[in-house]
Amino acid sequence: MQGLRLAYNYLRIGIMNEFQYRANLYIQILQTFIALGTGLIGLNLVFSQTSELGGWDRTELLAVMGVFITMGGIIRAAIQPNMERLMEDIRDGLLDFALTKPADAQILISVREFRLWQLVDVITGMIVLGVALSQMNWMITVWSVLAFFSALMMGAVMIYCFWLIVTSTAFWFVRVHEIANLFEGLYAAGRWPVGIYPTWLRIALTFIIPVAFAVTVPAEALTGRLSLQTWLGALTLTIVLFIASRTLLKFGLRSYSGASA
Amino acid sequence: MPSVISISKLAKHYQVPEREAGLKAAAMGLIKRRYKNVKAVDEISFEIQPGELVGFLGPNGAGKTTTLKMLSGLLHPTSGSTSVLGYEPSKRSHDFLRQITLVMGNRNQLSWDLPALDSFDLQRAIYSIPRDEFKRTRDEFIEILEVGDLVQKPVRNLSLGERMKMEIIGALLHKPKILFLDEPTLGLDVTMQRRIRTFVAEYNKRYGATVLLTSHYMADVEALCKRVIVIDHGKLLFDGDLSKLVEKFSAFKTIGFTVDSAATDWSQFGDVVAAEGSRVTLRVPKEKTSAVTSRLLNDLAVEDLTVETAPIEDVIESVFAVGKDVVE
Repeated sequence: MQGLRLAYNYLRIGIMNEFQYRANLYIQILQTFIALGTGLIGLNLVFSQTSELGGWDRTELLAVMGVFITMGGIIRAAIQPNMERLMEDIRDGLLDFALTKPADAQILISVREFRLWQLVDVITGMIVLGVALSQMNWMITVWSVLAFFSALMMGAVMIYCFWLIVTSTAFWFVRVHEIANLFEGLYAAGRWPVGIYPTWLRIALTFIIPVAFAVTVPAEALTGRLSLQTWLGALTLTIVLFIASRTLLKFGLRSYSGASA
Repeated sequence: MPSVISISKLAKHYQVPEREAGLKAAAMGLIKRRYKNVKAVDEISFEIQPGELVGFLGPNGAGKTTTLKMLSGLLHPTSGSTSVLGYEPSKRSHDFLRQITLVMGNRNQLSWDLPALDSFDLQRAIYSIPRDEFKRTRDEFIEILEVGDLVQKPVRNLSLGERMKMEIIGALLHKPKILFLDEPTLGLDVTMQRRIRTFVAEYNKRYGATVLLTSHYMADVEALCKRVIVIDHGKLLFDGDLSKLVEKFSAFKTIGFTVDSAATDWSQFGDVVAAEGSRVTLRVPKEKTSAVTSRLLNDLAVEDLTVETAPIEDVIESVFAVGKDVVE
């Protein structure tokens, strides 16, 4: 399986690269704790006024926060850096190198970058999630764990596809860097279960930017709210988004002209 | 022998947005864009045999890079046909890509923060090169280019020339049969240029690879390529031996000599390039060279007379100045 071998080799290179910049680790830890701190304060403020929010109690929302931090870490470790590099390469013409390699272009452009220190967020998120689960009265079954991890995985794939679709537009529009900021702003909405938002925003966060599937749905799985229907819906959307993003990338590559030398 | 590269009536047109300068025109561009059709490559045809080293010449914007990109599968031609090693490049078949390489002098593909050795390893994974074969090739290249002490340094700490050597090693580890080299010696000093040239020649000899090279340094082309293809404004101007090109287009020769006699009006012999003290340099039309030379030797007491062909740079320049019609 050449794809896996490529991913592994790029991962190795990415990790070696990150080891060169130890300061980044400390900065990342600091950032994670600040984000965690403000998140917890926000949560406490809300629950000093009320005992539940849109049907979610305090520990359940802590679980949502855990998933939010974990997913954010995954996105910033593996998805966003690759997409930002793709944008730059399209603009600078460096994509030439990737395209003259005997490998699937999509795999190649998706595994080239890896930010190891972002895993601090993934671990922290998991710890928050663990604390939340230990405080919950609900019995966790093997099924709910399986549902959680599958939902998390599908969520990550959907976010990846979303990014790829947006990034592929760079083939025609060249400058799409502002997208990164836009995404971060909208992703922040995932801190709360999408159910608490007005309908229009909920629909946008579900089908346009799949934040609902990336954060709320995995959290639903762990808190016993996930229906088979939603799970199948997530699976369908994952497949649709994947095919759409791959097709768009293919079209983009066809019209890629590269920056002239 | 069948050709390894064969292109016929190959063309690439771009739609380039254009507008007047200024803010108003820029704002108008948001609503309605005007496009200009630019023929970057305009129906060129040529064939290259296995093992040939061909120089691809032309001024900036002539269409060299566009052609190389079509040959390496990066760009889809607007029309015409391309065949490289029997493949259609734009299909980007993995079997095809495994046998070619593209080196661009102004771009890097090695990981900036890591020693080149780590990046080489990545190439091994990308091209699925067996481990021992990879080691053998890598060490062989490192030895030829004498970079043994550099491969463990982070690439960012290397000089431009050292980095280019690493780029070339990285690009050739899979032992491609066809090399597309786009300005591989760009910005390098003379010594480094020579090292890269020697290496390309050596690789060509050892592996019988076909090389298509673009360069602004005529020394590269003179040293490596017997055959040159000249294009300008997307059109083919010349395809043949470098010596023929020189013969055909060097319309002038340079005559230099030392003379004792008092000031003479040298312009009666030809264009005066320089007349400093007793040393005079004249430029005369090729066909008049022998007549002028004998007049100088017989009528005046000249010494150290030399006759030189115009430098190849000047020749190329005159090719572009003359244009297509005269060439045919």
